[in-house]
Parts: sequence; C-alpha cells; structure tokens
Amino acid sequence: MKMEEMSLSGLDNSKLEAMAHEIYTDLIDDACLGLCFEVHRAVKCGYFLLDETDPESMKDFEIVDQPGVDIFGQVYNQWKNKECVCPNCNRSIAASRFAPHLEKCLGMGRNSSRIANRRIASSNNMNKSESDQEDNDDINDNDWSYGSEKKAKKRKSDKVFLHSLKQPGFVNPNSPRRSKSIKHKNGELSTGSSDPYKYTYNSGINYETLGPEELRSLLTTQCGVISEHTKKMCTRSLRCPQHTDEQRRTVRVFLLGPSASLPEPEPSVENDSYDPSENQALMSRLQWDGSSDISPSDSASSKTSTNNSESKKTKKKKPHLGLSSGSGSGSGSSQQGLGSSSTKKKKPKLLAPPTPSIYNDIN
Amino acid sequence: MSKEAQMRATINQKLIEMGERERLKELLRAKLIECGWKDQLKAHCKDVIREKGLEHVTVEDLVAEITPKGRALVPDSVKKELLQRIKTFLAQHATL
Repeated sequence: MKMEEMSLSGLDNSKLEAMAHEIYTDLIDDACLGLCFEVHRAVKCGYFLLDETDPESMKDFEIVDQPGVDIFGQVYNQWKNKECVCPNCNRSIAASRFAPHLEKCLGMGRNSSRIANRRIASSNNMNKSESDQEDNDDINDNDWSYGSEKKAKKRKSDKVFLHSLKQPGFVNPNSPRRSKSIKHKNGELSTGSSDPYKYTYNSGINYETLGPEELRSLLTTQCGVISEHTKKMCTRSLRCPQHTDEQRRTVRVFLLGPSASLPEPEPSVENDSYDPSENQALMSRLQWDGSSDISPSDSASSKTSTNNSESKKTKKKKPHLGLSSGSGSGSGSSQQGLGSSSTKKKKPKLLAPPTPSIYNDIN
Repeated sequence: MSKEAQMRATINQKLIEMGERERLKELLRAKLIECGWKDQLKAHCKDVIREKGLEHVTVEDLVAEITPKGRALVPDSVKKELLQRIKTFLAQHATL
C-alpha cells in the first residue's frame, strides 16, 4: 500500500492529464454509440426519414421576414380599417366595434339587457319625481364611464343610500338628495337622449352657453360652483356640502357681476343662530394661527366680533380652553357659518381691533 | 499489472461506484444536445445512410463512420468543462 501511495503521489500531472483524457474519450465514445443505436433503430423501424418534406412544401411554409408582415406572411392590422354593414340597422360599423354594436343592436347579450333595465328604472324614477334630470345624465354617464354598472346595481338594491363625497363635482348616483331633488331647469342640457349610441357626459352645466336671465334663475336654485376640471356648474342644491358658501358667492359675483344680489334665503335663517358660536370660533382661530386664509370672512364677522369682544373680556380665563376645544369641534360647522355670514355682509377688513383684545384676554 | 494500469482501474471503479461516471455522462449528453452536436451528427448519419442504402445499414457501419466525426465535432467549451470535472475528481480521489 505504501508503495502505491508513493507512486500515486509521485504521479506527475501529465499522467493525470492522460488519465483524464482517456476517461473523457470513453465518455464521448459512449455518447456517439448512443446516437448510433438510436439512428439505427429509427432506420430499421422506419421512422428515421419521417420529418423530411419535399422541397416544394418547404418553400410554401418558409419563414417570412418582410417588414409589415408577420412570419406567416399575414398583414398585422388588416381588419383595422375595414367596415362592416350591420344587418340589423344597416349602418357601416368599424370592424373592431362590430361585435359590441351588434350585441346592443340586436338586444341580446348581457350588457344590453342591463342597460335596458337601468333605463327603465330611471325612466320610472323620472316619472315619479319631476325633473330629476340628473338621472338621465347619469344613465349617459353609465354608458360611458367605467365601473358604472356596479354603482347602478348598488343603487337598485340598496334602499338606504350611502352618501359618499369623494371627489368634488362628482355626481353620485347613491346620494339621497337625488330622489328628493330640487326642481331646476336644465334647458341647455342634452339630457333624455334615448339614443344609445350617443354618449354625452354631463355632470353640470356649461355656464358659457347660458344667458344672464337663465343664469340668475339657475343660481337661485342650484349651487352653481364652477368645477376646476370640467368648467361646469355644480347642479346640486344650494346647500351642497361639496362647495362652501364662499365659493357660491364667488361664482355668483363672477357670473352676474359684482352688484349681483346673492339669493340665499335658506341659509340665512340659520345664520342667526350661528353668529355667537361662529364669532368665538373665529376669535380662537385668529388666536391660533392668525392666518389670512379666512381673512375675507374675517372682514365680515370682525365687525360683529368687536361687539362681542367686550362681552368676552368679562368672561373668565378658564373658558378659553373651553373655547379652543369648542372651536376645534365647531370649526367644521363654523366654516359654513363663516362663509354664509360673509355672503350676507360686505364690510372692509378690520383685523387690528380684535387681536389686541384676544391677547389681553390671554394675559 | 503496471501501477499506472492498476491506478486506472481503481479510478474507473471509483467513478462507477460513486455514480460520478453516470453524472458525467448525463452532463455531457445534455451539453452536446444544447450545442447542436447531436443534430449535426444526425445529418451526417443521413448522408451515410443514403450512401449505403436504407435497407443495408448496419450498426458497425454507422459506428465506424460516426465516431471519428463525433469526436472531432465536440466544441472546445464542452471538452474543457468535462476535463475539468474529471481532473477535480481525480485530484480528490486519486490519493487513496
């Protein structure tokens, strides 16, 4: 054994290499032999030459390598520009739109029955509540917009409507206000179009097309705030929570001129009750940040607040905390109150007088 | 028996016993298919068969024609890798 070990360690690399090469050659021979057996068997069994074709067929199915054509030689958008004539309505429809059109035209298929049901439901609603024209808008919306079918289903099934305010100017079909909507004129709107092929999207009114008289009448009944994205007036009620009274006032000023009367009969009744709490909230807001974002409303309520500031002085210091905490909760409602009060009164800014009084109170 | 021959026999025995030879064989086969060696050789077979006539081909004919060509057609990368593996094995197991 020792002799072998010595011989092994004494083996130089060339011998190792030779051995390795020999092993390698054996392996290659094995591979070749394997292939020979395979081929021989294929020949004898008759399946060796099966994958051969004659040269003519080879030419027929040759791979095509031209531009504008796929490897089979077919043109890519061959059917894009072709138009088919609908056998039902005899209109010429684009090929890619033909199948959906046929579905609606014949009145078969899932979508068409759904849309028809919705139209029936909405027309029933229209008969029940007059001038609920927003529904019609919504039908047209549903034809047009994605995911509208879910909302329509929900609307039919839920008797309790959920009022969701997620986007400004978005017409929510589930809003309870829609069923008890205020009567308003939508003279210029192309609503009630029963033509299923026209998709009109109207969530509001385009103020440019309306005359001043129509505008005035519209603004007496609707919110009318012009949306940033669509440049259309909001068709919701005067108390629509998506827009503040300040916005409504601005729109009215913008559309009817600075001397326009601001018709807000409803909120004015509540204003009287808001005044004291709103002024306290205002004071505390001035105290917190003194920011100018509520300055226009400052001007309106500051005069009234000066009247109240004296009464404030007589109050104890502890209620300050109460005020601030009250303002925190009341600030949400006070905003509306502020806005509404400002629409009533137009007064110059008087910021200086209130603030010293507040700081006196702190000290 | 010379020591070298004895060594060789031992090594071969070890290769088989440890299953290394089988592994090497599979590896080689896979690599040869991958690099297209098998298809090349099959085309050569077709020529041989056409030469000899489909009915009269024997295994021996094929082997005699194919093996030398097969040996020559192995790509260098495959050869190198296989030799490397074998040498590694030898280095590990040549010292008994």
